[in-house]
Parts: sequence; C-alpha cells; structure tokens
Amino acid sequence: MFKALVTHLLQHLITQNSWANALLQPHAGKAVQFNIASIKTNIIILENGGLAVAGETNVADATVSISVSLLLRLITQDEAAKMQIAISGDTHLATELAKVLSNMVWDYEDDLSKLVGDVPAIKLSQLGRETVANIKQSSIQLAEMVSEYWQEEKPLIAKKRHVEQFNADVDKLRADAARLEKRLAKLTQQFQPSYNKITSENRP
Amino acid sequence: MTSEHNTHFGFKTVSEADKAKKVGEVFHSVASKYDLMNDVMSAGMHRGWKRFAVEISGVRSGDKVLDIAGGSGDLSKLFAKKVGADGQVILTDINASMLAVGRDRMLDAGLSVPALQCDAEKLPFPDQYFDCVIVAFGLRNMTHKDFALAEMQRVLKVGGRLLVLEFSKVWQPLSKIYDIYSFKLLPLMGKLLAHDAESYQYLAESIRMHPDQEALKKMMIEAGLSKVDYYNLSAGVVALHKGYKT
Repeated sequence: MFKALVTHLLQHLITQNSWANALLQPHAGKAVQFNIASIKTNIIILENGGLAVAGETNVADATVSISVSLLLRLITQDEAAKMQIAISGDTHLATELAKVLSNMVWDYEDDLSKLVGDVPAIKLSQLGRETVANIKQSSIQLAEMVSEYWQEEKPLIAKKRHVEQFNADVDKLRADAARLEKRLAKLTQQFQPSYNKITSENRP
Repeated sequence: MTSEHNTHFGFKTVSEADKAKKVGEVFHSVASKYDLMNDVMSAGMHRGWKRFAVEISGVRSGDKVLDIAGGSGDLSKLFAKKVGADGQVILTDINASMLAVGRDRMLDAGLSVPALQCDAEKLPFPDQYFDCVIVAFGLRNMTHKDFALAEMQRVLKVGGRLLVLEFSKVWQPLSKIYDIYSFKLLPLMGKLLAHDAESYQYLAESIRMHPDQEALKKMMIEAGLSKVDYYNLSAGVVALHKGYKT
C-alpha cells in the first residue's frame, strides 16, 4: 500500500498547487525515474495533470539521479548543486517535473484547519514555524561553536585564510619549479654541442 | 484446458451458455448483502482499492466514464464527483439485481447516473466514446474475457484509459494463509452473514481461475491496448491494470 499512500499524498499536494496541472498535462502518460541515494521511484504524470507512483512494470521516459552528498546540498538550498543533478532520456520532461516538485508547497495550515479548526491551526502552525526556526538557529550556533573549538582550541580543522595561504604557496612553488625546469632545459640545450665535442675528442 | 464450447465456473467446467446463467444466479443471490460481505471479506480494504483506482484513472472534469459490472455503484459514485456536471458516468451491469442496488444508491446520493443493464461482451455504445472505462471485480466472471476487453478498447477514445481492478495472484509467502482464508473462512462467512456458502465458494474459486498479473497484462495488449502497467495492492491480493488506447 506504499504506492497508494504516496500517490494519495502527491495528489493532495497537486490539489493544493493547482498551477502545476497546466505544466504537467502536456506530458500525461509519461514517467520519470528518480534515483535518490539508493531509492528508485518512478513517478507518472496522469491525464488530469496529477502525479502518481508508477506501477510494477513501468518503463520511465527519463531518469533523474541525485547522490546523497548532492541531496544534502540541495536541502541546504545550494543553487550550484542543482547544476549537478544527472538527467537522462527526455530531459525536457524530467526538468519540468523536477521544477514542479521543487516548487510545490505543502499548505499544512489548511490541512490542519480541517482537523482542529482555523484558529488552533494558525496557532499550531505559528508554534511549528517558531520551533523549526529555533532548532535551525540552535543548530547553526552549535555548528559554529564546534567549528571554533576545532580551529582554535584543538586544531582539527584549518582556518579558511590558512587554507588559502597554503594554496597560494603551493601555486607559487609549482610556478617556481616550472621556471627552474625551463631554465635547466635551456642550459642543457646550450651546452649540449660543446659537451658532445669534448666527449668525442677524448674517445680512444 | 476447456473445450471450445466449455469454460470455467470456479473450479467446475460448464458450457459457455450455462456460465452466464450460473454467474447471474450467484449475483442475484448475493446482491442484497453484497456491500456488507465486501466489507467483511476485505476488512473494508475494497474501499481503499477503489479510491486508488479512481486516483490512478486521471479522470478530470467533463470526462465520459463507463463503469462496467459496476454493481453497487461504489466507483460510479466516486467518478460522478470527479467528472462534475459537464461530464458523464454510465453505470452498467449484466445482473439486474446488482444494477438495481447501484441505481438506488445513486438516487439516494442525489446523483444523476444512468444505470444500464448490458453485456460487457456486446457494449451498446459507439466507437471512441469514453475517456475512461473501468471494470472492478467483474472481468473474472465474464465468459469471454478477450471479447470483453476488445469491446472496452473499442468504446475508448484515442488516449483513453482502461482500468481493470481485479483479484490477482497473491505474494507467494502469503499464499498458504490466503488459501485457508479463501476456501475455509470465506464460505463460512458467506454462510453466516448471507446464508449462502455456495456463492462465496464460487467467488473464492473464480479468483483462483482468473489470470495473474502478467497474463492479464498480455491479454490487454492483445486487445489493442498499449503502455499497459499494473499495481499490486495488498501484496497482490488485488491488482489494478491500466492500459491506453493509442
């Protein structure tokens, strides 16, 4: 019943984001396989512009692959990470579906209001948002503290400016070595004829 | 194997002419308690299976839907809400008793759904008329499944969908428990609740004689449908097949 449950959730999200119907309808009947970490799921576009998990024997028209590390970057809204998503097959279809899925918003306040009423739903949503914001802020502070401790008190992580200095030194050393190599080559070329002459004269 | 003019009626072999009559008798007998028995037999899961079929159908406002072997009208009711006032749902069943139950339920729900008694092997509709045709728990009772599937394909518009919701082959590790349930518990429940053990014995046997997931998929392709795919529901107790007319 996993597929039925996910399909129901997708359809509920599509109902809340009706703008997506028009974008998806031209691709009705087509499916996209999402390979996220080790999980593979085929999502099919329905004739009414809805979404569903595809059946057991579906053959996808496009594939979107996202590794675990890339997924973490996408969660933290790293724009550069979006460029690294691997897409194959019908790329227009995959891009369109990925765009819809990433822009869909869950109106949880509306869902909650049907269960507990409007006012409690607003209050609960506010509480939820504040809690999430607090957790996010606390997590950032904790990460900063740990990072500072590992940089200053017990150096396990290099500071950014030290890494940059190290990189610049390596670049300078590489350039110096290249220059020296060129000079040696030039000298070798310059003295090679006289060296050859001396060695040939001294031969018995 | 059955001979050219014989077919299955559960585990029995009967003449093709007798099958429709015998199936008719079974459903005349169970019609009044069909809903109750469905709920008891499936622990209410048949409602979830039907809702899922409606979700997968992709039916939208204004569509024309044909509900074949619609019996008590569960699906017609759900589809009527989906298609709205601009759309059309037609409820059909070969069995007058079952159709009467469905028709009354539609009227009680205030829905204007025409109820039509007809044979799925000879559908009285023009070619390319419906956006979606669905048959739920009805195909296994049909004498010539291939004729019926071809008819369903005929009445579909190009781009239309055929959905077949039917009992299927259960996941192997559960087959022993499922057999005990089907052949011991099901007729007993039929006896206690509907005072009709024989009809429920037939239901269990007909499920076993019905083609499994892959065989039905092949039959749908042979009937002219394409991109046929299926969902196993409740570990394969039921399968939902969907195919397109292209």
